Amino acid sequence: MEILRLGTLGGLLGLDGTAVGQFMVSRPLVAGALAGWLLGDVSAGVAIGATLELYQLVSFPTGGARFPEASTATVVAVGAAAPFPDVGAFPIAVALGLVWGHLGGASVSLQRALNTRLTPEATADASWGSVAPSVVAARHALAVVMDFARGAALTAAGVGIGRRVIGALAAAWPLDAAASRGLVLVGGAVSAGILLHDKGGFRRQRAWLAAGLAAGVVGARFL
Amino acid sequence: MTGPLTRCAVVSTFLRSFLIQGSWNYRTMLGTGFAWAMLPGLRRIFRDDPDALSRALQRHLEHFNAHPYLAGVALGAALRLEADGTAPAVVSRFKTAVRGPLGALGDALVWAAWLPFVAVAALALYWLGLPGGWTVIAFLGVYNVGHIALRVWGLRAGLAAGRDVAGRLTRADLAGWARRLEPASVFLIGLLAGALLTAPDGLREAGAAWIGLAALAFAGGLVGGHRTWRPAAMLTVTAVALIAAVGVLT
Repeated sequence: MEILRLGTLGGLLGLDGTAVGQFMVSRPLVAGALAGWLLGDVSAGVAIGATLELYQLVSFPTGGARFPEASTATVVAVGAAAPFPDVGAFPIAVALGLVWGHLGGASVSLQRALNTRLTPEATADASWGSVAPSVVAARHALAVVMDFARGAALTAAGVGIGRRVIGALAAAWPLDAAASRGLVLVGGAVSAGILLHDKGGFRRQRAWLAAGLAAGVVGARFL
Repeated sequence: MTGPLTRCAVVSTFLRSFLIQGSWNYRTMLGTGFAWAMLPGLRRIFRDDPDALSRALQRHLEHFNAHPYLAGVALGAALRLEADGTAPAVVSRFKTAVRGPLGALGDALVWAAWLPFVAVAALALYWLGLPGGWTVIAFLGVYNVGHIALRVWGLRAGLAAGRDVAGRLTRADLAGWARRLEPASVFLIGLLAGALLTAPDGLREAGAAWIGLAALAFAGGLVGGHRTWRPAAMLTVTAVALIAAVGVLT
């Protein structure tokens, strides 16, 4: 039942990724909080979601590009880690989320290829042709429903597989909590560097970066 | 309202614009979604002629792509042109002309500037100690104020200006807004880095070795740009798998 609920959440959040709205409830930070809320522990969900958000800072749902699907991946990571209190559940769940994001991205490409067969084609010649409004509405709606089903199935399968993986590995995880967090944050730091690269690089922006860094250090110490 | 277009038809088109990518595909991209979103307006324009409605719908199924938040500019302008009785070939040429700029402007403003700006701010607040639930509410609230405002502006601009919407886009200076966000975004990247380095649930308790590695990773991303993203993710997954294997085997 829990996997079914997580699958439904994954399906809904997957829709927000491209097909419906793009209100960014599909971002890992939000998806993690929602999955955590569904499982009764929002803060655990946000901890995984925020870490995956750090990785996904430079990954955006641009129309034609293939990108990791972070929404379903985050629900999978949070859902798979939830039953396990071990320290190792957190880093393994983050790694699982990174892998599942790429599987999700591949499934989005497949869905789009299916949509190509599904959607009616425009007639580009002088006579233009015609199509019934109901046909356009039905095909469009069917594509949305299929996308939901794709996200839901992908999430449910991921949670099922992920729980087996984490169950097999987490108890024997050799690092403590602080080092485990360090391990996954190191990978995420690359994205922050890429973002600075996109914003003009260190030389051009070093004054703003230094000001922010100082504010962050002071803020984290005293807030 | 513009000619036969009622407020209800325009609101319906606006709401449908949220699903414009619902049937995104490799042949016509947003084509089907664009035609479906046009339908309430086209029904008003061709309300006495079902055949003309079907033909108009068929025309708008053609290939179209744009940033989804700015697709409303083209939707509004195309509806205005249809309402004015503009020749189909002219409407088609107009859509072809605007799709590139609407994609590029949207990518620069939303995906490259607004979303990272709000996401980095939210992450910085989270690692500075804001509770997770409030962080998420703040992220969604702030992000969607900009998101919805852009969609509303786009559809209104398209409806009002029709074929002359390019002038509105130029005056709005969307690319300029993206540039103006840059310093604040860099400040927030610094804020996030500082919070990650010193927050108790960041790197502080992990020790100097992890802090050094994180600084190296940050520098790697800064120098290498986007080509370092995938190797970094793969390296993380590999490291986690190896450490887990060591744990199981020892």
